[in-house]
Parts: sequence; structure tokens; C-alpha cells
Amino acid sequence: MKKFFGKRPYLLFLAPGFILYTIFVVYPIFAAGSLSLFRWNGIGEKVFVGFGNYIELFTSSNLMSQMVNALKHSLTIFILTALINIPIQIIMAYMIYSKVKGKNFFQVAIFSPQFISTPVIVFIFTLLFDGNIGVVNKILELIGLGKYARPWLGIPEFGIYIVWIMISWAGIGVGMMYFIGAMKMIAFDSLESAYMEGAGFWKRLIYIVLPQIKMTVLNLVLISYVFSMTIFDYSYILGGTSGGVNGNVDVMPLFFYRMAFGDTNPLGGNISSNSIGMGTTIACVLFFMIFAIALIQLLIVYRKEED
Amino acid sequence: MKRMTDIMPMNKHQGFTAGIVKVLLWIYSSFTFLMLLYMTYNSFRERKDILGNTFGKPAKFTLDNYIKLIFEDNFFHYFLNSVIILVASLVLLVMISSFTAYGLARYKFKGRKFMRIFFLIGLMFPAQLGIVPIFQLLKQIHLINNIASVIIISAAGISMPVFMLTDFFAKLPKEIYEAAVIDGAGEWRTFFQVMFPMASPVVFSVCITSSVTIWNQFFLPLIFLQQDANKTIPLLVVKYTKNLFSTMDLALAISTLSTVPILILFIIFSNQILDGVTAGAVKG
Repeated sequence: MKKFFGKRPYLLFLAPGFILYTIFVVYPIFAAGSLSLFRWNGIGEKVFVGFGNYIELFTSSNLMSQMVNALKHSLTIFILTALINIPIQIIMAYMIYSKVKGKNFFQVAIFSPQFISTPVIVFIFTLLFDGNIGVVNKILELIGLGKYARPWLGIPEFGIYIVWIMISWAGIGVGMMYFIGAMKMIAFDSLESAYMEGAGFWKRLIYIVLPQIKMTVLNLVLISYVFSMTIFDYSYILGGTSGGVNGNVDVMPLFFYRMAFGDTNPLGGNISSNSIGMGTTIACVLFFMIFAIALIQLLIVYRKEED
Repeated sequence: MKRMTDIMPMNKHQGFTAGIVKVLLWIYSSFTFLMLLYMTYNSFRERKDILGNTFGKPAKFTLDNYIKLIFEDNFFHYFLNSVIILVASLVLLVMISSFTAYGLARYKFKGRKFMRIFFLIGLMFPAQLGIVPIFQLLKQIHLINNIASVIIISAAGISMPVFMLTDFFAKLPKEIYEAAVIDGAGEWRTFFQVMFPMASPVVFSVCITSSVTIWNQFFLPLIFLQQDANKTIPLLVVKYTKNLFSTMDLALAISTLSTVPILILFIIFSNQILDGVTAGAVKG
């Protein structure tokens, strides 16, 4: 025994990680795939239904409309993040990279919400946007726009955009740091010569910096995609298990949670007779949506390395 | 070596647009701090005063909200839960991922390439998608409502740390390892006394990113910690913010208490922490 491992010391180094990772990361993926082929709620009888759950998910008008609604919201968050947050992050990063006055303050302030837990972030926004005690309404009143005062958090149409604003405030610093990291790797003679030739501040960003960080941009778009498809906390805290009024803040992971763990809580309450079957089915659908995009990313990165 | 920004006055002549952007940055950054100050300020007011007279002159400042939170509602009990989860997950995560990374980087063996890819799979699969099978599994070994469940799952997500550490160990010169072996150190002693300490910058970077995620995580505790006694701080915050009319005071106190000390720590160590984040980001 000792001799066996003496010759293969790597086995002992790999074993703990391999075991834990296999049981809690790899196995659940396959287990979810196989559970999605059964009709089961964890307690009662487990009946094999093949792709029955998938067919039910895509044909039942109730489930389908919930999924379309949730998916629409998840994609809204992604599109807004990709089109608005990423350019802002690049500009923020470029300003800090260019050592503007106050760059340390900016960096700390922009990154710090990352350390605040989601419930507190939602609470801070309540202090801001609440109809009665919110700061925003008070400010509107003070500048004579009192008639525009609204219970902002209670307007169904705004729901998902408010979720996006919260996500952005909390997370915009991380992407910014990514870009700062990427910009620090840029060869300095290219920027220097552009400067000598008289390229202005923004021209240097567009023609010198952007082309050199385009892989980071691509990476961040894909990371935002995975992130947008898996974000759960905000919608749950704002709208509960049902995802708000008429599901106005519902997102894919919350839809999954609702199906898998019931309307009230995982240990009881309103669990359907097929909670595990349908829950894992939704998880698998969501998984394929993420996997398809992740695969594209891998291919692009791989091709880049081949070049 | 001279840095580019030393010889190039990049912060000069940025023009009008850059000026506007700078002003916006000042406003945005100040907003973040003002909101936190506003929250802290209100946490010293009585509930009636905040709800009834939000923008008026405060009736009085008091520590009552904090006293109630700490002595009546056992804040430190939940704080301890969060701390145990954080420390245990972090220690496990760092140990396991550095073992694995070292095994993958240091030794040549059949199937090494496969193993490297195998450990990367987790990057593509968010943990919540496999949560139903994990729930079934942990139910069978009676770990539901036990903080061990959250610790194990948090520590099992080793893909990113393994990736970063493998990269680091693979780039270490072989001579370091050989010198240690010539000195008579065994494989494990070499690892603990020579190799692992060298990886501390990467480990630090892993610790920073992971501890934020673990400390603030919401999904896992929500599912696995159902009983009040083993809830973590984020779940306690939700308990108070759910019904602001009756618990506005406690919501303010817990939000401040769970946020401000961490942010002060962040501000003090911001240079090191942000460098750690950037190092992790460049690798990723």
C-alpha cells in the first residue's frame, strides 16, 4: 500500500479534491439529468416518464408562460448588462488606469458594494425608492417635482429594471477590476507612440486600448450571460417565491426554485406531486442554455490559442 | 523599469468629455458612501421617529436598536454561524484546492490532461442547477439544517482556485522542489514547508474572492438552513426587512452592523485586496 502511493504521490494529493468535487459538483449534474426523466416528489412513488417532463414543460400553457416570462427577464438583465454596464465598466477602468485625480477613492467606492450582502442592498434601495420614506421622492419634492413622486418599488413594470439597477450597483466594480487588470497588461510603447502622434484621450481608448482588451470584453459578456441566467437572490427577496406581482421580477432560477422546492419552503408546504421531476427538468433546460453559450466561448478561446 | 504612466502625462489634456465623466464618477462614488452614511445615521434613531418623521430632525439618538438586536435577538449567535461557515469553508477550500493543484502541476502521470479539464467543468455549471440531487443526498445523511451542509458544498466548488493554483505551481522552477527533496524532505513536507508558502499571493487572492461569496451567500443557506437556530446573517437581514413597518429599527441596525465593519476593513486593506482581485481576474 505504502509502496503503491510512494510511487504515485499525486494520487494522495488529488484524492480529497477529486472525491469532494465529484460528489458535490459533477455527480449532481448527471443525477439532475437522470432525475428529470422521472415523475417524483422525493417522498412518493418514483415513476419513469422518459422525456415526459420536458414535453409537459413545453406544452403546458401555465408552465410555458411562466418560463417565457422568467426567461425574458433573465435575458433582459443580460442585455442591459452587456450593452450598458460593460461600456461603463470600460470607461471607469480607463479613467482609473489613466490615474485621474481621486482614482483610489473611485476604485474603493465603486468596488465596495461587492462586500454588501444582497438583502442589505435591497434594503438600501428601499430606503432610496420607497413610496413613503424614500429619499428619491423627498428630493423630487424639494426640487418642485413632487407630482412625479411614486412608490417606485411597487410599480410592476419597473420591477425587473430595478433588479438590474441593484445588480449593477452591487457588481459593477468586479468587471471594472477585470478591465483594469487587462489594461495594465497592454504594452506601453503602443500607447506611448499613439500619444506622441497626438491621439487624444478617447482616441487612445478606442484605437489602442479596446483592440487589446477585446478578449476580456468577450469573456465578460459571457460571464455576464452565465451570471444573468443564474441570479436568484434579488428576485426572491423583492418578490418572494412567486416572483412578485404577476411574476414581474421572476427569473429562471426562481422559477426553478419554485418548482423544485415548492411555494413556501423546501421542507413542506405547497409541494407538487412532481416537484423533483419538474424541478430538475427546468434545471436541465437552464443548464443547456448556459452550456451552449459556454461552449461557444470555449471554442473562441481555443481557436485564439491555436493561432 | 519605468512605468508608462511615469513618462506619459496620461492624466493631462483629457478634454471636456473626460471632465464630465470625472464629475459623474465623483457623484456616483459619493452616492455610495452617502447611502451607507444615511443608513448608519438612521440606525441610531427610534422606529417611530424614522417611519413617521423620516426627514425631520431626529427626536433623539440612541443605541437601543443595537442593544435589542444583540441582547434580545442574539445577533452574535447568527454572526457565529456565518463565521463558522466562512472559516471552515475557506480552510477546506484552500487546502483541498492547493493539494489538487499541486498534484496536477507537479507530477506527470497518465490522464493528467483529462484531470485538468475535469476540474474545470465546475466553471460552467452553477452549483444551483445540481441542488436538487445534492439536497436528496444530504437528506439521506441527515445534514439538512446543519451548517456542515453549506460548508461542504461551498468547499467543493474548487474549479477556479484549482485553475489559478495549478497555473502558479506549474510555473515554479523545478529546482526549488529538487532542492527540498535533496534536503531530505518528503513529498508532504516539501509541500507544506516549501511549496504552499510560496503560493500565498495566489491563496490570498482566492481567499478574498471566495470569502466575499461565502459570507454573502443566500441561496445555499436558504435551502439548507431552515431552522432559526442555524440561520446566517443574510437570512436574518431578510427576516427584518420583510416587514419594515414592525422591524425597521432592527433592519437598519443589522444592515449597518453587518456592512459597515467589513467596508472599513476593506478600505484599510483596499490596496492589497484590489490587487488580489485583479490578479485573480487576469488569470481567469
